[in-house]
Amino acid sequence: MTFSRVLVALIALPALYISFLLYQTGNPWFALLLLIATAVGFFVYGSKSAYAYRYLFPGLFGFGLFVIFPLLYTVYISFTKYSSQHLLSIDRCVAALLDERFTSGTGTFSYTLYRQDGGEYILLLRDKKDPNHALVSSPFVLKPNLTAEKPLPLEPLPPGQQPPGKPLGFEQVMRERLFMQMRGFRASLPDQTLLSLETLQDFTAHERLWILNKDGTLTNRKDRTVIRPDFKRGFFVNDKGDQIGPGFRTMTGWDNYLQILTDPRIQVPFLRIFIWNVAFAGLSVLGSFAVGLLLSVVLDWKELHFRKVYRLLLILPYAVPGILSILILKGMFNQEFGIVNAILRGIFGVAPEWETNPWGARIMILIVNIWLGYPYMMLVCTGMLQSIPQAIFEASAIEGGTPSTNLFKITLPLILPAMVPLLIGSFSYAFNNFVVIYLLTGGGPTMVGAGIAGETDILVSYTFRLAFRDTGQNYGLASAIATVIFLIVATLAWVNLRANRAHFKI
Amino acid sequence: MTPARKLLLQKILAHSLLIAFIVIILSPFAMVVAASFRKGNFAPSKIFLTPQELSLEHWKFVLGIPYQEVVNPATGETRTIQAGSPPLGWFWNSIKVSAAATIGIILLSGTAAYAFSRIRFKFRRRILTGLLILQMFPAVLMLVAYHTILDDIGQTARWIGLNTHPGLILVYLGGISTNIWMIKGYFDTIPASMEESARIDGASHFQAFLRVLLPMSLPIFAVVFILSFIFFMTEYPIASVVLTNTDTYTLAVGANSFLGEQEKLWGRFAALAVLSGVPITVVFLLCQKFVIGGLVSGGVKE
Repeated sequence: MTFSRVLVALIALPALYISFLLYQTGNPWFALLLLIATAVGFFVYGSKSAYAYRYLFPGLFGFGLFVIFPLLYTVYISFTKYSSQHLLSIDRCVAALLDERFTSGTGTFSYTLYRQDGGEYILLLRDKKDPNHALVSSPFVLKPNLTAEKPLPLEPLPPGQQPPGKPLGFEQVMRERLFMQMRGFRASLPDQTLLSLETLQDFTAHERLWILNKDGTLTNRKDRTVIRPDFKRGFFVNDKGDQIGPGFRTMTGWDNYLQILTDPRIQVPFLRIFIWNVAFAGLSVLGSFAVGLLLSVVLDWKELHFRKVYRLLLILPYAVPGILSILILKGMFNQEFGIVNAILRGIFGVAPEWETNPWGARIMILIVNIWLGYPYMMLVCTGMLQSIPQAIFEASAIEGGTPSTNLFKITLPLILPAMVPLLIGSFSYAFNNFVVIYLLTGGGPTMVGAGIAGETDILVSYTFRLAFRDTGQNYGLASAIATVIFLIVATLAWVNLRANRAHFKI
Repeated sequence: MTPARKLLLQKILAHSLLIAFIVIILSPFAMVVAASFRKGNFAPSKIFLTPQELSLEHWKFVLGIPYQEVVNPATGETRTIQAGSPPLGWFWNSIKVSAAATIGIILLSGTAAYAFSRIRFKFRRRILTGLLILQMFPAVLMLVAYHTILDDIGQTARWIGLNTHPGLILVYLGGISTNIWMIKGYFDTIPASMEESARIDGASHFQAFLRVLLPMSLPIFAVVFILSFIFFMTEYPIASVVLTNTDTYTLAVGANSFLGEQEKLWGRFAALAVLSGVPITVVFLLCQKFVIGGLVSGGVKE
């Protein structure tokens, strides 16, 4: 009993501490999530009725944090305007606006440096219009790159008093190159107005350009215009409708989805990409299946010698890490220097454009993907061929059946029903095979008149580039497309599961 | 034509087709091995090198050994080249990340699969189906979310945030659902009677799981271990977004970094590919019987 209490404490204390830290550093949602997870964990491991979940909790927790949570987050992003132009939350956007300064000209100050015995300095500023208005700093160290430091706070100096230390004349400041270090130096008045060195001898006041009003609008102190957040456009706008400052993230409802359906710059490539995506996945699976089946049937021929050696060599492409194979084959298909074109040029006198011609690129992708995928199909087919009774082939031989009738009239019909779930599984895997497309062609060549879309892009690679590469970085639109892809693939998976209840045996 | 001659002809045809196919399939690998020993940076294009072309420079670079490179052929001026963060380290990074993630995956999916297979509880089928369908969300498209989550966590605990191995491992741990399905499928084939008799003899649920079921299920765990390990060793998209510092690169990210848009360092890439590809390939071939059995029975391919 004591043991379990110690265990509870060992888990609870760090969890509480970390959620406190998370809360403090401005992640209240993560803090809450962690607290809930800890609480649920204690319930699961403490209660008798939740027995099964003792085994499930760790797995489901990981799944929740790194599959379900990101998934929900992605769906959420799909309903927002979130891109490189609308990167900040509205709070951070307001903070950025409030950081903007302008030279108000309300105050110009001459400065004097007082050197202290310890080598530190005190800065004295005197208002040029009102010599009695003087301000003084606490002692500070003068060093290069003071820009990055916090502004030096200044206190009012009572009239008639002098700061301690030895005052330096302007010439001395120049001679000792102290001026160089004073550049970029900022000081702040008691009312938070910032001062910085404007000319050789003068400090000038920089005031906040915007004042935050209670209703969330901002007033420009220079020309008294008012700007207000436009949540539809994701910008602050003035009365004329001009956009001011950086954009912010905002909820847009179904806008991103409507854009997929209506915007011709998205819609046209989206349809073409979808068609190529289906063709790519379908042809990859059919091609690998055809090659794999053919090889397995040949290798199943009992009178052939060296079958084991052949089989081992033939599955080698499956054993080599895919990413290495893809990069190697990419080098070989290089249309100018690659070995493939060198051979084709030598034998047939042709050099297909694997990179710049859309059809060349598509064919290359299919060749590579079938190259990567046939060993799996070969292995699976080999396993299934074992279950076909030899007597059928003997009977076929007596009737005069040729190898091709054996293949199409006996083998294929017998293994196809068992193969269908595997083929559908491979299809949905190929449907989202990002790595092959991204590393081989990067989606290129460019689709004419379709923005960043490429002729060989599949939905995932297109979306990835929409989100992470090229200009724009439209996370909102990318997330909407991701959600649509998910719905397509999930439906496929669900139908597959339904159709194969018996096979999956839940 | 006599039947014997016809058979002979068919055999010759089959052998020559197979050999031709194998030559096409295997020549890229032979060319990569050659490219790793070839002076200069050439895309894999030759299998046999002349002695003048031979050089160990790429291997030295990958292993982090300094070597001399001629800068100016006229004067014979040389400079010493040594990798700042040796690519061998990337291989080691990959092994660490993959091993940790794989062990985590096995712990998480093994226990969960036990509950799904042996205990009847509410929502069992729904959760099981839900796991499979939710995993269909392409991981590549969750990268925005992964990036944000790790960035946020990293504000509090830097060792687990962006650009760290623990962060990457955490993300990898989410991918358990196919493994749960595979292990559960295997558990289902083992009769529950053994554990029931253990329970009658006084063992708890957990003891029955640990002492009776687990030892009988080692083959499926071997399969999951090998498949996950190899998958993580070569995972590219997530690692490329999470890891941005060359010191933390994994194998896949590092290998791709040699083949940038501007400069293609084929020699170094080839040496790294051989160095890392050979052990993975050998492990896979040694375990192929296990792996293939698991693939076919699970019906799911990673």
